[in-house]
Amino acid sequence: MGRCLNFCLTSMLALALGASALAETDEEVAARQVALELAGAFSNDGFKLRDGHWTGTLARGESKVIAVNLYAGNEYWFSAGATDKAKKLTLAVFDETGAPVTGEKFNSGTKAATGVLVDNSGEYFIRVRLEEGEPAGVCFLYSYK
Amino acid sequence: MAEAIKTDSVTIPTPGELFTALGKPAKPDWASRYRGPIAMNYKTRTQIALNLGGLIADGFIAVEAQDTQQVKNIGGDIVKLAKALGVSENILARGNSINQFAGNDEWSALQEELEATQNEVKASMQSHRDQDLVILVSLGGWIRGTDVVSGVVAKNYDERLGQILRQPELLRFIRSKIGQISPELQNDPLIKSVNNQLASIERIVATPFGQSLSAAEVSKLNDSVSQVMKEIQKKDQ
Repeated sequence: MGRCLNFCLTSMLALALGASALAETDEEVAARQVALELAGAFSNDGFKLRDGHWTGTLARGESKVIAVNLYAGNEYWFSAGATDKAKKLTLAVFDETGAPVTGEKFNSGTKAATGVLVDNSGEYFIRVRLEEGEPAGVCFLYSYK
Repeated sequence: MAEAIKTDSVTIPTPGELFTALGKPAKPDWASRYRGPIAMNYKTRTQIALNLGGLIADGFIAVEAQDTQQVKNIGGDIVKLAKALGVSENILARGNSINQFAGNDEWSALQEELEATQNEVKASMQSHRDQDLVILVSLGGWIRGTDVVSGVVAKNYDERLGQILRQPELLRFIRSKIGQISPELQNDPLIKSVNNQLASIERIVATPFGQSLSAAEVSKLNDSVSQVMKEIQKKDQ
């Protein structure tokens, strides 16, 4: 059964990456692999991974803000991964009013994550920023439980 | 935050996220939320797309109920409806994965697989120049999910549960995407009717940030989305 599950998971990843690869650059596909590796750690803690994701390229000092709609009572981990050219990536979460939302943080070179417990349903904004390094492919995704 | 990136695949939550938010405090009897089989031979692509989204939400309900056979049944129906839209053969592999995960009680993996199936269908629609239908799949899922959750909250109301259903920006985003589809599809009688009803639904869920929907608002929301749901699944539009 374990072998079957491994095969299925590998097939899923291949299909997911294959479908995305139609529209994404090699850099962005590589960044998604980094983000998926990071998010995989939260799956061990019962978090379900969203298949939907954002990919793009960030230059040093550049950031992108991604809008998500979250539900009160859910816990979320937001993960970002980048290719090797990135040296430091950061994530910040803001609520619908623009107020920062505090939570657990993780940063390690090409990876960054932040975890929050949501008290109020609504729109939230996740800022992904390349603090240090050369322009790099970046991927953002999230998990919930 | 006006410059924020908003996309169908990230900005619109899955029905699974909504059900997770409800499941913790309310512990609903998910199996009691099943509905009877829907038609598999709708005439228009718009109605098929809306019902496909609703079926995917049904899949999430069956996963919450941890009902292997129901997941397999719905997985089969998803493949049938997707094929009616002429989407790629990859969807067959997804259907097989859904069956395998259900057979192995891999409930968490199934949630991810259902969303991946939905995204596979959407990617195929985009490559077949059916991008206007993509938002309809998401909308169908949102309506079915909200139909179920508002029904449970209406029966067991408390402020915490009323907070889950507050989602004005999500509705605004969905309606803005509908506003971008071709004039021909916007004039489809079903789309026209659903869009008109969404305008009033948006007003119901638009409480200020941090404020729950009242019991009366939840009941009104449930009546409204149930009405839209009936219209979407009705045969011979």
